[in-house]
Amino acid sequence: MAKYVLKRVLMALITLLVVICLTFFLMNAVPGNPWLSEKTPTEATIDALNAKYGLDKPLIVQLGKYLENLIHLDFGNSIKMQKDRPVLEIILTMFPISASIGAIAILWAILVGVPLGCLAAYRRGTWVDSLLRVICTVGISMPGFVIATMLLHVFTGGIEGIKFFPALFKGTPESYVLPCLALGFYPMCYLSRQTRTAMLDAINQEYIKTARAKGLRNGKIIFKHALRNALIPVITYLGPQIAFTLCGGFVVETVFTIPGLGRYFVSSISNRDYPLIMGTTIFLAAFIIAMNLIVDLLYKLVDPRINLGKGGH
Amino acid sequence: MAEKKLKRAIGSLQPDIDDILSWNDLPENAFEPASAAEKESFIQDRKSVSYWKDAWRRLRKNKVAMVAMVIVILLALFAFVGPFIVPYSYDQVISGANNIHPWHYSLEDQEKINAYIEEHTGSANLSPEEAVAQAEAEAAARGETLSAVDAAKIRAAAKANQGKGEENVTQDDAIKALGIKAKPFGYTNAELERMAAGESVFPHVFGCDTQGRDIMVRTMIGARVSMIVGICCAVIVLVIGALYGSVSGYCGGKVDAVMQRIVEVIYTIPEVLIILLMGSTLKPIFEEFQNSGDGPLQRLVTLLGANLISIFLTFGLLYWVTMSRLIRGQILQLKQQEYVTAARALGAQGGRIIKRHLLPNCIGQIVTTTFLQIPSAIFTESFLSFLGMGVSAPMTSLGSMCSDALGGLNSYPYRLFIPAAILSLMILCLNLFGDGLRDALDPRLKK
Repeated sequence: MAKYVLKRVLMALITLLVVICLTFFLMNAVPGNPWLSEKTPTEATIDALNAKYGLDKPLIVQLGKYLENLIHLDFGNSIKMQKDRPVLEIILTMFPISASIGAIAILWAILVGVPLGCLAAYRRGTWVDSLLRVICTVGISMPGFVIATMLLHVFTGGIEGIKFFPALFKGTPESYVLPCLALGFYPMCYLSRQTRTAMLDAINQEYIKTARAKGLRNGKIIFKHALRNALIPVITYLGPQIAFTLCGGFVVETVFTIPGLGRYFVSSISNRDYPLIMGTTIFLAAFIIAMNLIVDLLYKLVDPRINLGKGGH
Repeated sequence: MAEKKLKRAIGSLQPDIDDILSWNDLPENAFEPASAAEKESFIQDRKSVSYWKDAWRRLRKNKVAMVAMVIVILLALFAFVGPFIVPYSYDQVISGANNIHPWHYSLEDQEKINAYIEEHTGSANLSPEEAVAQAEAEAAARGETLSAVDAAKIRAAAKANQGKGEENVTQDDAIKALGIKAKPFGYTNAELERMAAGESVFPHVFGCDTQGRDIMVRTMIGARVSMIVGICCAVIVLVIGALYGSVSGYCGGKVDAVMQRIVEVIYTIPEVLIILLMGSTLKPIFEEFQNSGDGPLQRLVTLLGANLISIFLTFGLLYWVTMSRLIRGQILQLKQQEYVTAARALGAQGGRIIKRHLLPNCIGQIVTTTFLQIPSAIFTESFLSFLGMGVSAPMTSLGSMCSDALGGLNSYPYRLFIPAAILSLMILCLNLFGDGLRDALDPRLKK
């Protein structure tokens, strides 16, 4: 177990390192510099600025310095969007909003998606199953921004007489409803599809027959015997879905003008605020990689059939 | 001897020795060569059913997949043939066509509307005394007299309304009051006059955008961009994934171990993050390269567009991992087969074995996975474009049209819904067809 965990953690760290290097070199390959704004500064000013922020040294040296600082959790300072403010501070003020929306979205996706998947599997072949299949197929075919903009249009006064929610994000509970709904729709459909498949596999197992033969009630068979086993493969899909929800936040935050990290990340890219882009990418990447790691380890823990030492698939 | 016949069990498979022995007693002329006509009747003309024919037969039975295929073909026609039929181009600004709706009012109706507005705003713009005089005249026409209280009320109302008469009667009010019905398709007034003069004018079926560009052509071009991106990315993924996966699977051992560690690292990289980053950073790099000279490579970049190439590259670099894993798994199984050993015994090189023996035997999986890359690439491209990091203006894509529409969402909702609907329909049908393809090409997978 310890060996397996160590191996996975090491792998995650390597991945993170790759992401950091990739981001770093990509950032520096971009032509142009962050000092180009409305009024073009003189050569001397640019040199001075480069020297001040250490942009005049060779790339490898810059990368080494950056990595060294990173170990002390120093992401550097923003050089454009919020001048000289520490990147970590910016991230920590914005991330909670994104994270809370993401968490609510994934929560409702699980709470609705899994029971719907069970229902579809239980009523396999009936109209309920077909209807759910259509909804879920359509749901995973619609890009996130389509769902978000439609919700925005329908529920914020686009159709006369319907204005339940504010169009602009104000931080009140009502303004959380639409973004979370939009963000959780795709994971909900995806999870419900996966649950259905897993449930069908579980229902056809021998131990379900045994449970039936014992005379157990249907509810007990479904929820206690089948679902528990069916959920194991579903857990593996959670990791990527958490990542998706976090990144899907870019779109949802743009549509609903939420002052979260996703929207800020997108605008920092177009503003070429290098430290901010790197800091945000690394932060989000680390978060996603950590989530995947946790889900993976959890998966092995939940399913005792899996041999941890070999780490097999 | 003959009387000592063995007693045979019923249904025994043991040959009857007596019968066999009597074969020797056959006369010389018992066998004759078959005539040509007899030979002919033995040959049955039935074409051998190839793998693809068999798959096509299975696919045709799948109704959902067939409907999806028809819709995909229609969408492809819309995207690739459509721009040649419509006489407008995607970046053509049509004068006077700013914000026109996909419906229009005929010139006579417009006159009526204008007259109505003028009439009603006119009354609101009267001075208080004039308004009272007008009301008195109206009352007299009805045979009544105006009371002093009413007159005071009218005077007050006219005073309040003065100067803001325009706002009182909008075009919508006039249309409602006159009961005028809109006619389908959008035309500018100049085009309506030309039509009245007998010319035939191609309508703006979906209206025009803020800058007066025909939305239908832009949708077609956007759909075309999406499809090109989907197909190119799928091909890139196929090439890299098939090469990497087959080499890794065939070589095995240490090579495989190292290659698989690399795959694992790429697999765990949060792709959307890197895609966003690469989409935005590669674009200026290519633009600079494009402007750096006039070689054949630069011309190629200009032809495809810097932003499209950066999307292809991003996709190519990140998405081949799934494909390579799948092919590696297949190759690992297939290389244990006898025919591979036979080929190797005959002296075939590794490359030839992979190309001629291993890959053709997992073609079904390869085709399905490649095809399912198309909708996933379209999905990602639209996401990038929506965030403003896909194709850049004046080129358009369905994603960027959707994000452009956000500004005037309440007044022009169709500008969002048309591209969004086409995008969703495209992805949905490609997914459904891909599922059908999988069932048809790999019947073992079907439950």
